[in-house]
Amino acid sequence: MAQANIELLTPASRAEIDTWVAKYPPERKQSAVMAALRIAQDQNGGWLTTELMDAVAGYLEMAPIAVYEVATFYSMYQLEPVGRHKINVCTNISCLLRGSEDVVAHLQQRLGIKLGETTADGRYTLKEVECLGACVNAPVAQIARQYYEQLTPELIDRIIDGLE
Amino acid sequence: MKTVMRFFKSLFLLELLQGMRVTGRYMFERKITVQYPEERAPLSPRFRGLHAQRRFPNGEERCIACKLCEVVCPALAITIESAQREDGSRRTTRYDIDLTKCIFCGFCEEACPVDAIVETNIYEYHGEQRGDLLMTKDKLLAVGDKYEQQIAADRAADAPYR
Amino acid sequence: MVTIEINGKPVQARPGAMLIEAADEAGITIPRFCYHKKLSVAASCRMCLVEVEKVAKPLPACATPVTEGMKVWTRSPKAISAQRNVMEFLLINHPLDCPICDQGGECDLQEMAMGYGKDVSHFSEGKRVVVSPDIGPLVATDMTRCIHCTRCVRFSDEIAGVTELGAPGRGEHMHIGTYVEKSLSSEVIGNVIDLCPVGALTSKPYRYSARPWELTSHSSVSPHDCVGANLTVDVRGRQVMRVRPRENEEVNEVWLADRDRYSYLALSHAERITAPQVKRDGAWQTVDWNTALTAAAHGLRGVVEKHGAQQIGALAGYGATTEEFYLLQKFMRGLGSDNIDHRLHQIDFSTQGAMPAFPWLGQALADLDNLDAALLVGSNVRKEQPLVALRLRKAARGGARLMAVNPIDYELNFPLTARRIVAPTAMVSELIAIAQALLESGGEAPAGFAALAAGVAVLDEHRAIARHLKDAPQSTVLVGNGVAQHAQQGALQMLAALVARLSGSRFGFLSEGGNSAGAWLAGAVPHRRAGGAAGAAGLDARGMLTAKLNGYVVLHAEPELDCIDGAAARAALQQAECVVALTPYVTDTMRDYADVLLPLALFAETSGTLVNAEGRWQSFTGCTTAPGETRPGWKVLRVLGNLCNLDGFDYEASDEVRRELEAACSAVLPSSKLEWQAPVPAAAGSGLCRIADYPIYAVDGMVRRSAALQQTPDATSGVARLNAATAAQYGVAGAAKVQVVQGGGGCVLPLALDERVPDGCVYVPAGLAATAALGAVDAVVELKAAE
Repeated sequence: MAQANIELLTPASRAEIDTWVAKYPPERKQSAVMAALRIAQDQNGGWLTTELMDAVAGYLEMAPIAVYEVATFYSMYQLEPVGRHKINVCTNISCLLRGSEDVVAHLQQRLGIKLGETTADGRYTLKEVECLGACVNAPVAQIARQYYEQLTPELIDRIIDGLE
Repeated sequence: MKTVMRFFKSLFLLELLQGMRVTGRYMFERKITVQYPEERAPLSPRFRGLHAQRRFPNGEERCIACKLCEVVCPALAITIESAQREDGSRRTTRYDIDLTKCIFCGFCEEACPVDAIVETNIYEYHGEQRGDLLMTKDKLLAVGDKYEQQIAADRAADAPYR
Repeated sequence: MVTIEINGKPVQARPGAMLIEAADEAGITIPRFCYHKKLSVAASCRMCLVEVEKVAKPLPACATPVTEGMKVWTRSPKAISAQRNVMEFLLINHPLDCPICDQGGECDLQEMAMGYGKDVSHFSEGKRVVVSPDIGPLVATDMTRCIHCTRCVRFSDEIAGVTELGAPGRGEHMHIGTYVEKSLSSEVIGNVIDLCPVGALTSKPYRYSARPWELTSHSSVSPHDCVGANLTVDVRGRQVMRVRPRENEEVNEVWLADRDRYSYLALSHAERITAPQVKRDGAWQTVDWNTALTAAAHGLRGVVEKHGAQQIGALAGYGATTEEFYLLQKFMRGLGSDNIDHRLHQIDFSTQGAMPAFPWLGQALADLDNLDAALLVGSNVRKEQPLVALRLRKAARGGARLMAVNPIDYELNFPLTARRIVAPTAMVSELIAIAQALLESGGEAPAGFAALAAGVAVLDEHRAIARHLKDAPQSTVLVGNGVAQHAQQGALQMLAALVARLSGSRFGFLSEGGNSAGAWLAGAVPHRRAGGAAGAAGLDARGMLTAKLNGYVVLHAEPELDCIDGAAARAALQQAECVVALTPYVTDTMRDYADVLLPLALFAETSGTLVNAEGRWQSFTGCTTAPGETRPGWKVLRVLGNLCNLDGFDYEASDEVRRELEAACSAVLPSSKLEWQAPVPAAAGSGLCRIADYPIYAVDGMVRRSAALQQTPDATSGVARLNAATAAQYGVAGAAKVQVVQGGGGCVLPLALDERVPDGCVYVPAGLAATAALGAVDAVVELKAAE
């Protein structure tokens, strides 16, 4: 196993990971991998480098490939640099029926990027996601930890104007 | 009575004359002999003559060295050696058909998944030395290059029945 | 046992067994891709769906345990329909490139598609394409063909112990790979080729070169380590195209080490010698066999007549067949000399008289699976005997406590419960301490032990090792190649055997090379005759070199590399009057010292017998003919015997030789008992200590010449390794390269800092061209920073 540089994880991150590790039996450290990846991602401005994943693997004493498997499986882990604001638009069936296509089209036109891309100034990343579980108020988008519901082009403009 | 009839038949060469009558009739009928080589009989597009290896229109050889023709050949006339070419593709480094072994059954053509080995309608060829009838890959490709139009036309003509 | 009914036929099955196991035992075939008897159950391919009574849906046979009275139909309309539909799903993304796929003709998917495939698919969308990663020089990848059975992932994780393959991505984007592109570091990775049910993982050296239906398969045995792995050698025309494992549950199970699988590439190496050659007036001439053999016999007899029989000696490589060893010793002893040895790696011969008839493993190879504890002494078993390491890993997964006393903290593929990593010179005292710890809880110390134990501190770690060994119902102490090549081999063996005796463990040798056991039995040692009979006294391998004899016979060896003291070997051979080399390969060095070169057939080209570590005699016949004028070794030695007018050299087949030797060995019972001789404590060395071993791909001429093996990460052209503290101490901390000087020879090697090497030691491998100039491994080492 390659020597991972666990120093890449900041002391604060490591302390936070430790609180998750403490929830599992000592020989099941790897159970904390999802939390650890999230913490590492937050530490790195919203995305994971291979080195960071190796660091998580080293910290949790797992094989690096097992960490890569988790990180590539879940779409909430970003493996490429993302903008400061990650706009996740749901395009699943409920949102689609309620006009998510218009939402996506408006966002693409407003930001000048396509789904999955980042604006040149590094401010916004536009992503298509599966159901966010807020179908009652479709169409829905998530920016940072905040849900924005019943979106219309005007509402979108206001939201984006409100972002720094 | 029978004996008498047989005596007269043999005396007047009656059976010979009966045969000569057929000869006489064809002597004056329109001749159907093909005056080869000035004249040629028509050939089916499925005619199985000399082998050729074809290329794709971009000049790349078709053969991918799958060796199905080699294994299907009932006369064991085909010898193939294969290797990875520099660009990573699977190619033959040797492709020999020994025409002295070949029985022109056409199985190689049937087996080929890429229509690379074909039997052309060429049947006039000869060899003067040992080895002249051993068709190497270069010879086969040369035949293919030369007669590609005819080969393609034959395949096209036969395509609806395949 | 539970009784179930499969297709109306009553079948007995072990409770807890899966349906597919019960069906396999009853000879009922259920189609499968992901299930493999040696791997865990994944149930991911769904091909083995069968109908079970009172269950609404078909169940996967590989993941359904048997229950009493279960009724199963594997060929009912419902089962067949399920299997056909699964097949259609599997084929959705599988490319139709069978004509260029190396698996074509022996592909599970192809065969299953013949049985269950439909000619038309409901799926008309585009197929997915997956980028194929480069995972090293041994395994070619075509990941578009992958059907995600994960056999390779499970193999590398569970069996090989290198978790480097995985399945990143999800759904449509899931693929098998390493995520970060790299060569896999396993020494048994070739097995994924056999495991892969499709053509996603194929052999890179074999790529596109042949079709399975063109190959004729022959049975053979691998000569590269003491496991004696069973091989299937596939030959096309006269050329060996590939090597596959032959299943033998007692030896190699279904696995092969990469060394066994890819050494065949060396059969056609450019350095093969294909006709006999004789040196006349300093120039080499290719001659016929008669001339060459006469020259060899004449030269050797000339030395005997002029200087006496004690002035000739024979050096044999570890991988020669038992027949060759036997005939060589018969030839040498016929000429009147006991100077014959195969232990080219050995330095210390002090306890050779105490050795059993052959270095026995102390148990059967299969017994290793069920160990509860094992202590490895001087063994990098993963790289020395990769298939033994797989068995030890299996034991470790079953809860065995594995421990090691090693000069380097080797990367083993199983966890160690306890380890003592010490300089080679300190290994003796480590074993004394463990023995002392065992004596603390009773037992009788043998004569002379108390004197040794004085001043040796017993630590808690020693007590832990002792306790684990003693508490385990099935335990063993194994000495590895690190002991065989150790300057105090005798002391280490004695003490390891003592530890085994005191702890109630079995003692065993992980012997070197492919046929050490055969060499001992055949009498290719100076102090024993065939069958272990006493009454011989000759020079050992090292003694022959230091004595600088006048005549040498070299069999299957390149002494300048294969002898642990390569420089001395070269010097000794160069000054000799007559050197007859029976060799498959010839190098410039060999041309320099040899006088007659007799080309020899390699393992796939000759018949013979190899005896593995557990004492199993495995005979094989030649798979192909040797190139040119090359002849099998037993024939060459037979005629040499005739030409020297020796009696009893009238064999007509190699099995006559085997029968003669078997008769001599009829009284030999496998034993690993060492007669206790109190070891003489060696003077504590000062200064830097060299740790030398033979890297996995430098153990013999064949693997050194296998191009594919030499491109793997395990192949090395020689690196000096030492830890940062030692590097600083010797003033080479910042250097990229160091000059290593030892015993009058020197070489320049790249320097790597490696914390696995203990203080005061430098690791410089042997068996490599780069380090061949170094003097004796036990001499003092000096290090200097080099430009």
